[in-house]
Amino acid sequence: MESMIQSSCLTCDFRPDRLFCDMPAESLKSFDEIKSLTAYPRSTVLFAEGRPVRGIYILCDGRAKLSICSDTGKRLTLRIAGPGEVLGLGAALSNTPYEITAELLDNSQVVFVRRKDLLKFLREHREVCLQIVHMLSQDLHGAYERVRTIGMIRTRRPRIMFRPRALLV
Amino acid sequence: MLTPYGLDIIESCLACKMRAEHIFCDLPPAALQTFESVKYATAYPKGAVLFVEGQTPRGIFVLCKGRVKLSICSTDGKTLILKIAEPGEVLGLSATVSGKPYELTAETVDPCQVNFVKREDFLRFLKEHADACLRVAEQLSEKYNTACREIRSLGLSHSAAEKLAKLLLEWSAKNGEAAKAEPRVKLALTHEEIAQMIGTSRETVTRLFADLKRRQIVQAKGSTLLIRNKAALKALAITQ
Repeated sequence: MESMIQSSCLTCDFRPDRLFCDMPAESLKSFDEIKSLTAYPRSTVLFAEGRPVRGIYILCDGRAKLSICSDTGKRLTLRIAGPGEVLGLGAALSNTPYEITAELLDNSQVVFVRRKDLLKFLREHREVCLQIVHMLSQDLHGAYERVRTIGMIRTRRPRIMFRPRALLV
Repeated sequence: MLTPYGLDIIESCLACKMRAEHIFCDLPPAALQTFESVKYATAYPKGAVLFVEGQTPRGIFVLCKGRVKLSICSTDGKTLILKIAEPGEVLGLSATVSGKPYELTAETVDPCQVNFVKREDFLRFLKEHADACLRVAEQLSEKYNTACREIRSLGLSHSAAEKLAKLLLEWSAKNGEAAKAEPRVKLALTHEEIAQMIGTSRETVTRLFADLKRRQIVQAKGSTLLIRNKAALKALAITQ
């Protein structure tokens, strides 16, 4: 693994640049207690769509591919997540199965927090709660953007194909 | 007593009987008091536009009564309906929180009662009440879930028939009809609107419905649809 293992959030150099990680000292201390850090090789699947939710994953370094799958296994990549991003947040908060699949593209360090611990942490640390709301809004924004592009492509193509036949009738 | 658009307006959230059922509204007393002081109860007729995609966010709209159509528009004016919001849902939430333009257009389907909260008031409210903040996070997660489902249906389905079958099955699972062998679906939307929900043309939806009826998979009774052959509909919903 190329990068050094960063075992404590308290001494992390990247912290100020990252939306979620940049929390007040006191919150950070209790966050450090509930998290667990693991180094994974590339192409590890952190979580798969439809699986019951276990908790959230925070990418410390490396990238992850977020995708959606159809019943027959056809795949659609939503986006590539970068360092500092929190994955599985929506599912963890609403306690629904993961709605996407996250697969690592690089050898990465990933922080995991169990759902139960996260909820308790959020109840005790209000400031972080607001950050979470901000992050979810951003996720949602991205998803709507994606709906806009996909939805429009799919409506356009068939119509042009069928127009000549419609004229014959 | 005369009421606007025949709606029975609930003036105070404190006295609202539906509160306990709605995720966002079921706030602790202290938070509810504050919310009560910042919200404006308003009534809208059918067809009113609450906000338009691309507008600078003014605030959030909590839907108390009625239904609201949420749609996304392309540059060439095509409409895609994302969902029909039901009472208890908070509209314009992510835009208000992030300060980015509204990403959807919200238009009332029925006469609606909507509680409006200004952006500054709402952000202050969130800072002061952590419990409300968690509720908001839950609402956002749910919306994210819906958006992902929509992406899956639009991006990975092959045919309009498949998407229509999926939509009908989804509707039939609501209102306690799920367990029935022949569930009933109340069609509250026009063919045009259904077309906009699954990203196809009105003509295709009409043709598909005629086809489903001819094959005895569904039966129409006024605006109610009876699903007679659930297994066949499920087979249609699987991606070929």
